[in-house]
Parts: sequence; structure tokens; C-alpha cells
Amino acid sequence: MEGRPLTDAELMELATRGDVAAYEELVRRYQELAFRVAYLVLGDADDARDAAQDGFVRAWKAIGTFRPGAEPRPWLLRIVGNAARNRRRGGARHASAVLRAAEDHRQVDAAPSAEAAVLAREARDELLATLARLREDDRLVISLRWLLGLSEAEVAATLGVPRGTVKSRLSRAMARLRDELNREVAQ
Amino acid sequence: MSIPGDSLEARLVALAEAMEYPPTPDIAGAVARRLEREPVPTFGRRWPQPRLRFALGLSLLVLAVLGLIAAIGFAVGGLRLTPAPADPSLSVGGRGFGERVSLEVARERADFMVRVPTLDGLGDADRVYVATPPAGGQVSLVYGARPGYPVDPESGVGLVVTAFRADIGPETFEKLVSLDIRVEAVTVRDRPAWWIAGGDHVIVYRDADGDLVESSVRMVGDTLVWEEEGVTYRVEGAPSLEAAAAVAESLR
Repeated sequence: MEGRPLTDAELMELATRGDVAAYEELVRRYQELAFRVAYLVLGDADDARDAAQDGFVRAWKAIGTFRPGAEPRPWLLRIVGNAARNRRRGGARHASAVLRAAEDHRQVDAAPSAEAAVLAREARDELLATLARLREDDRLVISLRWLLGLSEAEVAATLGVPRGTVKSRLSRAMARLRDELNREVAQ
Repeated sequence: MSIPGDSLEARLVALAEAMEYPPTPDIAGAVARRLEREPVPTFGRRWPQPRLRFALGLSLLVLAVLGLIAAIGFAVGGLRLTPAPADPSLSVGGRGFGERVSLEVARERADFMVRVPTLDGLGDADRVYVATPPAGGQVSLVYGARPGYPVDPESGVGLVVTAFRADIGPETFEKLVSLDIRVEAVTVRDRPAWWIAGGDHVIVYRDADGDLVESSVRMVGDTLVWEEEGVTYRVEGAPSLEAAAAVAESLR
């Protein structure tokens, strides 16, 4: 042992040579991200769990297709995203209230005063509620990019579209979110 | 008052920190249990050298995309995707493969000799589809579970054998060489063939607006593809190259 945790790339290299334990460690590292990605796509925790599992199993079956030296994360996101989208096409439950579920449980981080904390919470509630009202494509691309913090390339892999499509789709979605917020402020 | 762009992104970042998701289940444990039941994948195959990889990848991918495009059909003004449904039963919709017909009708309509697998244990196809375009027709033989050819849980299909005339221009395929599917040059029926491994075939098609769209749409599974007497054949969904080649060699 080298006395340090193996990097994702090192684990993937081992996995491509048939080391199932290395692959399972990769799954452990990525399971939360994969689950949340699938949850945002499907809107249902049980479906998201199943899609993430299917994606990881499929990725293992297809591990010979992984190109040495490539980043494991977008490769895994592509397969998990595809599993989630296939499940959605296949008629899985699809809740549109996925973002509202978090509203009641969110924490308000350290604020200089109770009043500031209340204002911060209100601002977040407004943003969350407005985001939740956007049409599905807009909500999904913003959520993947900004709520999960995926790069544009990773969003593209997850959605199975070119990066340029993500860029333009994200730009339009953000414009619509901005318009909605401005409209509410004006009212 | 308006919402400046930079502050909107900052607000989303702050919101991200406060978001709460359902607890992540033990996916790793479940995956580990499922992997115990999975056949061991093939390891150690490597991509060939870059120049060969480019040439091989480009030629194969053209064929693969031609096949996939033909499998999904296309309409005037661009290609139209019709992914197979994720239903556990044998339920691939007629739209994806064309019109469901008898083998005899498929043979009448196709502009080429329709060969069928004669591999022991495979028997007759459960469903036969014919589609046009492509010109000359496309015939798909769809099988449910067979010994050695388990059903894919997502597509509900064990095996698909497709034949069509490859007469579609390869004008849209230049981007495909960068994609993460693995291609292996093999020989079947004494002809060059390619084994496309990876659960997710990535294809490029032209949408109704004429825009190129790159889409990751799973069809049935790993694919063996070759051309024979002007007809492109694809065997999809077999659990291994060897199993796909056995089907290919048995075509009569």
C-alpha cells in the first residue's frame, strides 16, 4: 500500500483490469452524486436509486469501453444519466415537485442577525419557488449546473446532448429564471 | 429593481448549499451484490494506436451510425429518434423497428434476400418488423429470451438481428470519433466486421430543424455489424462477441 487513498483515476485503471473491489470503491465515491443526478431527472427517490444502480451495473459491464486516461466522472455521469432518462421514457413516476421537497428543511447558514437570517431564508424560498415553477427542461439544466455544481461538459454527458446545446439551453433557462424573478419583484 | 446576472448565479450557489436531498441509499452495496451475479466483462482490450484508432473508429462508426439510424427510421427533413421502451416484457414498439409483419411479408417487401439465424436453440423470431426508409427496406428480427441470450431488463429484448441496404450518405458523422464506445475489428462470415461494445451507443442525427444533435440513446445492447453483398447486418443484444458471432455465422 502506498499509504494514501487511491485517486479516482487509479481506481478506474484497476477496475478496467477487472478489480471489482476498486470499482465498488468508485461507486461508493460517486453514489451520492449519481443518486442526486437521477433524482433531479426523475423526481422520485426510489426511481433514482434504481436508475443509479442500473447505471453503475451497466458501467461495469461496459468498462472495457472506458478510454485509459479519461476522467471517470463524466463517463459515469453519462451512463447514469442515460439510465435515468431511459427510465423516465419508460414511464417511471416523474414528480415535478422535486425542488419543493427541500424547502421546509433547509438550513439558514450563519447570518449576522436574526433579521438577516429571515431575509436570507425568504430570498432562498423565493428563488427555489420560482425555479420550481420553470418548465422542466429549464429547471433540470439549472439544477444540474448550479444546484449540483456539474460542469457544462458534465451536464452535457448527463443529458446526452452536445456541450454547445447545454450552453445555449442554460443561457435561455437562466434568462427565463431572471425574467420570472424580475416579474415577481415588479408585482 | 432588477436581478443582476452575477447575483443570480451567486444566489443559486447559496441555494445549492442549503438544498436537502433524500438520503442517499446504499447504492454501492446493492451494486456489489448485483455484480456478484454478473458475468465478468472482458478486460484488457485496449484502444489501438491513434492513427489506426481514427481510421478504424471512423469507418466503423459510420457503419454503426448507419445501422442505428436505419433502425430508428428517419423522416423528411431529418432523422427522428424512437428509442426502445424500458418495459420488462418483449414490447419493443412498432415505431422503433417499423411495421410488425410476418417473415413472409418481410421477404416480399425487402429489396434483398432476408437471411435468418439457424442457430440451435434460437428458433423463429418472436417478432418481425419491416421498415422503409431506408430505401430497399429494413428487416428486424426480434427475439425474447433464448438459452444463452438473456433478456435485457431495460429493453425487454434478448436479441435483434437487423438487415438493410446501406445507402445513406455519411455526411454527418465526423464528430463520432471522439465518443466513448469501443470498437473491435473482427471477422465473421469471412468478412470484416466490427464489434461495438458499450451499453450506450452514441449517435448523431439531424433533427427537424436541420440541426445536428448528438444523443446517447441505448438501443438494445452491444452490436456486431458487417456488410455483405450490399446489405448491412447488425446483431444486437448478444451477451458477448462470441454469442453474437454464433448468430451471425448461422444466418442462412
